[in-house]
Amino acid sequence: MAEKAILFDSSKCTACKGCQVACKCWNDLPSPAAGEAKWSGTHQNPIDLNGNTRLIITFNETEAPAAYSTKPIGWAFGRRSCQHCDDAPCATVCPGGAITKDEETGFVTVDDAKCIGCQYCKSACPFDVPRYYNDGTLGKSIINKCTGCIDRIEAGMAPACVSTCQPDALKFGDRDEMLKIAYEKVEWLHDHGYPDACVAGDDENYKTHVIHVLKYGYEAHGQLENPSVPATVAMTQVMKPITAAASGLTVVGLGAMFALAAGYSRRRLVYNPDTQDTLDYDTSEVVQHGDPQDSESVVEHITENLPFGKGGAKHE
Amino acid sequence: MTSHWCDFQNTDVILNCGSNSVENHPVSALWLEKAHEQGAKWIVVDPRYTRTAEQADIWCPIRSGTDIAFYGGMYNYIIEHLIEPNLAKYQETGDMSEYNFEYLLNYTNASYLLDPEYEFDPATGLFSGWDKETKTYSNHSWHYQTESEENWDTTPTGDYAWVSGEGVPEFTTPTLQHPKRDMTLQDPMCVYQQFKKHYSRYTIDTVCSICGMDPETLELVYSTYASTAKPGKAGTVLYALGQTQHTYGAQNTRAMCIMQLLLGNIGVPGGGVNALRGEPNVQGATDMGMMVNEHPAYLKWSNTTDRSSLRKWLESQTYSDGYYTNKPKFIVSSLKEWFGDAATKENDYGYDWWPKVPSKTGDIDYTHISTFELMQQGVIKGYFNWGMNPCHSAPNAGNVRRSMANLDWLVVADQVITESASFWKAPDMNPEEIDTTVYYLPCALIYEKPGIILNSGRWIQYRQQAVEPWDQAKPDYEMCDLIWTAIVDLYKKEGGANPDPILNTKWDYYVDGKIDPRPVAWALNGYRVAGTECNTNSANPKTDLLKGYSELGADGSTACAMWIYSGMWNNNDAPLDAAEQPLCRRDTNDASGIGLNSNWAFSWPSNRRILYNRNSCDMQGKPWNADKKLMEWNGEKWDLVDQADFVAAKNGKPVPPNNKTFFMLWEQNARLESYGMVDGPLPEHFEPFESPTDTNPLNGAFQNPCAFGTNYESTKQGSAVDYPIIGTTYSVTEHWQTGGQTRLCPALVEAMPAQFVEMSEELAAEKGIENGDEVRVFNNRGSVVVPAVVTKRLHPMTINGEVKHQVGLTHHFGWADLFGTGDVVNDLTPNVGDPNSFTPEYKAFLVNIEKA
Amino acid sequence: MEMTRRGFLKAGGGALATAMAFELTSKSQAFALDSDQSFKLDRTDEYTNICCYCAGGCGSLLSVRDGELVNLEGDPDHPINKGGLCPKGATMAQLRNVVDPETREVVKNPKRTTKPLVRRPGATEWEDISWDDAIKEIARKVKDTRDANFEEVDADGLTVNRTTAIASLGGSQENSEEEYLILKMMRSLGVIAIDNQARV
Repeated sequence: MAEKAILFDSSKCTACKGCQVACKCWNDLPSPAAGEAKWSGTHQNPIDLNGNTRLIITFNETEAPAAYSTKPIGWAFGRRSCQHCDDAPCATVCPGGAITKDEETGFVTVDDAKCIGCQYCKSACPFDVPRYYNDGTLGKSIINKCTGCIDRIEAGMAPACVSTCQPDALKFGDRDEMLKIAYEKVEWLHDHGYPDACVAGDDENYKTHVIHVLKYGYEAHGQLENPSVPATVAMTQVMKPITAAASGLTVVGLGAMFALAAGYSRRRLVYNPDTQDTLDYDTSEVVQHGDPQDSESVVEHITENLPFGKGGAKHE
Repeated sequence: MTSHWCDFQNTDVILNCGSNSVENHPVSALWLEKAHEQGAKWIVVDPRYTRTAEQADIWCPIRSGTDIAFYGGMYNYIIEHLIEPNLAKYQETGDMSEYNFEYLLNYTNASYLLDPEYEFDPATGLFSGWDKETKTYSNHSWHYQTESEENWDTTPTGDYAWVSGEGVPEFTTPTLQHPKRDMTLQDPMCVYQQFKKHYSRYTIDTVCSICGMDPETLELVYSTYASTAKPGKAGTVLYALGQTQHTYGAQNTRAMCIMQLLLGNIGVPGGGVNALRGEPNVQGATDMGMMVNEHPAYLKWSNTTDRSSLRKWLESQTYSDGYYTNKPKFIVSSLKEWFGDAATKENDYGYDWWPKVPSKTGDIDYTHISTFELMQQGVIKGYFNWGMNPCHSAPNAGNVRRSMANLDWLVVADQVITESASFWKAPDMNPEEIDTTVYYLPCALIYEKPGIILNSGRWIQYRQQAVEPWDQAKPDYEMCDLIWTAIVDLYKKEGGANPDPILNTKWDYYVDGKIDPRPVAWALNGYRVAGTECNTNSANPKTDLLKGYSELGADGSTACAMWIYSGMWNNNDAPLDAAEQPLCRRDTNDASGIGLNSNWAFSWPSNRRILYNRNSCDMQGKPWNADKKLMEWNGEKWDLVDQADFVAAKNGKPVPPNNKTFFMLWEQNARLESYGMVDGPLPEHFEPFESPTDTNPLNGAFQNPCAFGTNYESTKQGSAVDYPIIGTTYSVTEHWQTGGQTRLCPALVEAMPAQFVEMSEELAAEKGIENGDEVRVFNNRGSVVVPAVVTKRLHPMTINGEVKHQVGLTHHFGWADLFGTGDVVNDLTPNVGDPNSFTPEYKAFLVNIEKA
Repeated sequence: MEMTRRGFLKAGGGALATAMAFELTSKSQAFALDSDQSFKLDRTDEYTNICCYCAGGCGSLLSVRDGELVNLEGDPDHPINKGGLCPKGATMAQLRNVVDPETREVVKNPKRTTKPLVRRPGATEWEDISWDDAIKEIARKVKDTRDANFEEVDADGLTVNRTTAIASLGGSQENSEEEYLILKMMRSLGVIAIDNQARV
């Protein structure tokens, strides 16, 4: 199987939200109980991704291009969901192995059963995508994000959002093919009075498996022009010498750092598997000597020090 | 629709007018975007900048309710820019590089001479034939001058030999009056000259003043759309309730037909007049004639005047030429299906058992709007609601629920407790004072029962049952059978007011003793009476189903409830197996190359995919556009890609090309001017019942003098002094109609949790309203509170020199206990309507607003 | 004629006899999922249907396991929608089943009402009624209303066989066979005040 991608052509998107609800239906994701759904004040509902919503269509009013003088605005429709980064930082930091990159398709998949609720992935994500639902039975918050419908792809089907898209604004296929279509469409848009049209997802420094054709440019459609891995995730590189090759174990320290990044002032700890020492990241002081840790005890440590308290009580 | 969904891909210019199709008919987007990517221009004429407008190239805002002014200006533009400058040259050299004169001259009635009495007076806004007392027209002067007359040949070798057949009811056959024509289009009484004169008043400036448009944008729209006047080019007009829900809605529809005829856009691939129908089987219900004056398959129901007996029906309804010369076959076959063995030639096939609708001038009206008046008066005492929710969807909904409180009984068949089922629980009702007995009957969902459904493109498709109904829910066909058989039993046991119509009704649609939709499908398709038993057992069904409607007779030998569906279910080898019928065909090979999909399902009539398709070729039978071919005369016979919508062969011999291209009309040419409408032979701009302006620059009548329901007290007309803001209603893509289905789906309520009122930034500033504020929208009929959407997508308009504001409300919420609730927006809309169709004027009325 | 892979052969007659593997009466009863189920559509039968919203006529494909609907999406073979469905069409399964936001289990839609009810004059609430009783009462009311308000011959002596006391509204939500039965029942009773969604 060649590398795959989802192509979103915003110039063909009619913002019907078929994708948004088809995602919910296929993945059996709940919506608010009767009377509980809150209106955002715009067409964009819900206003953002949440623990039960993996994809939303965004609405943004921008200036109409000069070639379209009869239009009062340009109505930029965007697709907000997991971008399936090629070098997925969420997978890099996931301590439980819940988030993994599917090597065949390049999609970043989720195994809920392995999610420990640490929410590091949220901080690691350049696009602020991961959200969490509260699992009452397990007493913890569980990641909810687009899996690329890897189950459907393996069964020879397109992702649910793509299948349902009536105007053909969403396509699924080999990433190369999707890029080819995207660049052709951008050229078409340039020829048709949309000078800011561009492709997103093909940055030379940041490759994703969701390709966007953005009629009005990056910002109007809620996309990042130069996505990059947050500095916090970049630190994994710094720490790798300390923590040796067992990257899964580096996260003791990472957890603390993310907490800081998220506004929680906490001590940043790093574990060195070679010496079995736990160190203060800032001072390099050894906090605890010779406390052998395997992946299970790391997980235990993290769950006791979750950014939002044990059980991830903050349910988004 | 005269075409079908997939045909949009073949167009050169798209005109969305009165339809927000990518939101409310989302599948249209697939085909429109395809055309757009291939280079088609896309125009949206709409008060709001919609999700459809965002896809388009040109957005031309229009004041709600002024479409006829817009179309009239288009005609004037076409005449001034395309017809007049090129007509002489065409007459001399045949040059059609700018305009398709051959189509106009040969396929429309442009050259027909009108009655010398025909007249229109702009000072009064009235056409000839007006009766001041009754406020109705006589259409006598709207007819053509006659050149010669011709009678039917009913002798054994004649074209109409069947009339003399045994069993055929007696009637006087019609006389064909060949109209006088002037092919030079110079006679002052020819349709073209009268038409030209009529619309010469619709100048760009006048239209802009009425519609609140910008002249530059308007000219751009006209020039872009009129580019399809060239032979081989096609423009498609997509419309919906934005056109029909006016006190001149039927004339709006006529106006689009005329535009398409002037541009040669009817019957060609990528063309057509395309009503985007809004209910899953509203095409079927229209076909079924489930309306006061209608009979299945576009025949008329019996009445007390011109259809007061079978003979009168035959004499008033049978056309003198064209395909509707066959109407006697359709009506007799319908009666035969209805009454079975009880229908004989001697008793006029049971015609008098059918109820007759009062139809004298001044008789009481029984259509939708009027039924609520009749409830208030105590005339209507019992009411059935089949999957319809008038307490929410009918105009002046407050008046509706107060009227329904006067009913003795109400039966609601639905999947949820609708506002109608629970009208007595409405926030402003006191149940203790309401004596209505209400029955709620739970219905099966669409996939909990099998059956036939038609789409807007006339495709007859089939729904397989996937699961059993939940709990005690039942399909409507089963409910219907339970109720009917219980009534029949009572009449058998007790007698009662004339039981004959009931006891003689054939109701035998049973398979192995159980009610079953399949024998009903046989009835719709038609069968030979002698060889068919509807009440059947699955082991040995006995059928002689008709191959198509050409096999129908007027002699009682055939039975058919719906002649236009004939051919959809005709496999006598497996009559109980839906999968083996034409309507279940699933072959996606499209040999046409233009998306006809002729081997998928079945399209009425006779599997025709594009209506009036003969118009896709010139007088020699050559396609206007060789790349998009529906048929071609090869010199000896017709090569047909689509099923012929004309006489391609007669008695086995090919019929060479002629000018009879609209054979569902007796003149077999399309009508620019038509005597068939009650409110005038040409569309004329009138103001809505509630108008924001006090002038009509085009005529002295101001409003449609024939508008329906304006004298009902309950309408409580408001003035622009009290209610200066134009109100209109519309749907969002996330919800549908009264929300009985979409508010039952939590994912949709989450995707659009509220209804709202959209307004311009200017109006919001004037009223001190910010986005998201709760706003009270009110008029004489009601008051609703909804949140505000303040947007650049609506803006104030200058109407006849004055700045006016428009607001738009979505209308999907109500008090019914579903996943989302809200006020009923139709409390605001006026219960007045179109005099032809009796469709209410939801789309243009007056309101005021204030911060709640 | 080539049948497509979603031809009716596969899902043809008889498949509905499959017993339903869940409790119908309890609103909160979640559907049992097979523990060995690896893919949502494993062991499902496919049925084709047509959307219940606008008149696009989009095809849908329903996947049914053990008599229960487990998935609904666009019919990929359908030439109009080619597998696509708008948000309304894409959620049609929710008309029957929804995911409970508390338990995250698929349950019967709690807002759909699936038993006959009657509201008596002056009552402030609904009462349960059996189908048999509801039909009996409705037939009686129809007959009494018709008998008391039937016009066989009008003032001009014309046979008119009509009652103006009963009205019937609706039809565009029904399948065509049902439309015919409704129309036939109403007209044969003498009803002239017949209308449906096509009017509005």
